[in-house]
Amino acid sequence: MSQNRIPRVGIGGPVGCGKTMLIERVVPVLASSGYSVSIISNDVISKEDANRMRLNLATKRGLLPENLVVGLATGGCPHTAVREDPSMNLAVIEEMETKHQELDLIIIESGGDNITTTFSPALADYFIYIIDVAGGDKYPRKRGLGIETADLLVINKIDLAPLVTANLELMEKDAKAVRGNKPYVFVNCKTDKGIDQVASHIMHSVLFDEPPKAQQLKR
Amino acid sequence: MSIDIFEQLGIMQLSDSFFPSGLYATSNGLEILIHDRKIKTANDLGELIKIFLKQQIGPADCVALCNTYDFIAKNDFEKIIQTDQTLYSMKLIKEIRETSTRSGIQLIKCVQSFKDDKFLKLYSDSITKGESTGVYPVCFAIAAYSLGVKKEHAATMLLYGFTIGMVGAALRMGIIEHFEAQKIIDDLKSEIANTVQKNINKSISEMWQFAPELDIVQITHERLSEKMFIT
Repeated sequence: MSQNRIPRVGIGGPVGCGKTMLIERVVPVLASSGYSVSIISNDVISKEDANRMRLNLATKRGLLPENLVVGLATGGCPHTAVREDPSMNLAVIEEMETKHQELDLIIIESGGDNITTTFSPALADYFIYIIDVAGGDKYPRKRGLGIETADLLVINKIDLAPLVTANLELMEKDAKAVRGNKPYVFVNCKTDKGIDQVASHIMHSVLFDEPPKAQQLKR
Repeated sequence: MSIDIFEQLGIMQLSDSFFPSGLYATSNGLEILIHDRKIKTANDLGELIKIFLKQQIGPADCVALCNTYDFIAKNDFEKIIQTDQTLYSMKLIKEIRETSTRSGIQLIKCVQSFKDDKFLKLYSDSITKGESTGVYPVCFAIAAYSLGVKKEHAATMLLYGFTIGMVGAALRMGIIEHFEAQKIIDDLKSEIANTVQKNINKSISEMWQFAPELDIVQITHERLSEKMFIT
């Protein structure tokens, strides 16, 4: 492993589950703690997610430079781009690592995919799998590599549970049964409920509670 | 032509779509031609691939690959760098240049992870120093050579790889089905073989590419905000 390797978090999950919104909510928390973050978004049919995050996080709020939000097309194979053949992602990351050693973290968003999504260990050091309650409370019980093996399971849109008759207690029970001791977090990205917990998991398990590089350099 | 079993396995390994190069995410601009209904049938697609082979991949990429082979045999690393830079300068579209070098560099890194070879190391170091760009056909030549693949076979693999990349993209975009895809590949075999024979002994000074209409198509595709493929 390169000494210049910047820690990487992969975020995967089905289309529309809130991957982009999760990043838009977590990055400000990390930035408020002084961490410098970049984002690579693997989109399925457009660069819409990357453009949206660039606008909301970089252009409007100045939380990171605009050129550190990168959209990547995947040729209709979002799972391949982060698992079997992550060459293009690795190439972009290595370019970032060469030019931006000040970065503390790289977030890689997969294109929306199914419950078997996982990240190549060569690409991501930590894998967050996100689902939403609107997909049905059966989701955790259905297992799948993403739900079973992710370092952190995020269950989003909990405010919709009563509207779609999803039983959160059942989802929690199934998540525990399927994942053993691995953590899970219930989240509402619209209100930021649970977002601090997700950020804490990243800071603790990926950044090992080390201070941001910028602060370390000042010492 | 007899093929050594290890060469054969090297050919299979590098030609297999399981080999990670990232090129499955590219369509060389085919996406916009399909979107604009300029390519509608399997026949249209076959004709388009022929143009690419005749006007770009054969006279430029294939010649670069073959010359790299010759310079490895002559132990002339300076000429390999020259080949790399010449081919890079012929790739007029930014995203095509980026994709070629990104996949090339990853290819070299991958082969280096299991193969100890002088030219793999020299070339990898020259990329790190910024002396070489890591353009894909040169990387492919160095990688294939290190696996014991002969020049003619490597050239054929490069052209075949380009062909299946285009056919695969068309399949995913839904203009052909899987049997048609195999028929197109079969129909293009003689074109691939002829293109290799035509370019295998050309020198770097004879390298060229000329497909202005395709350049415009690729520039247009590169600028699209909504697309499934890298150009």
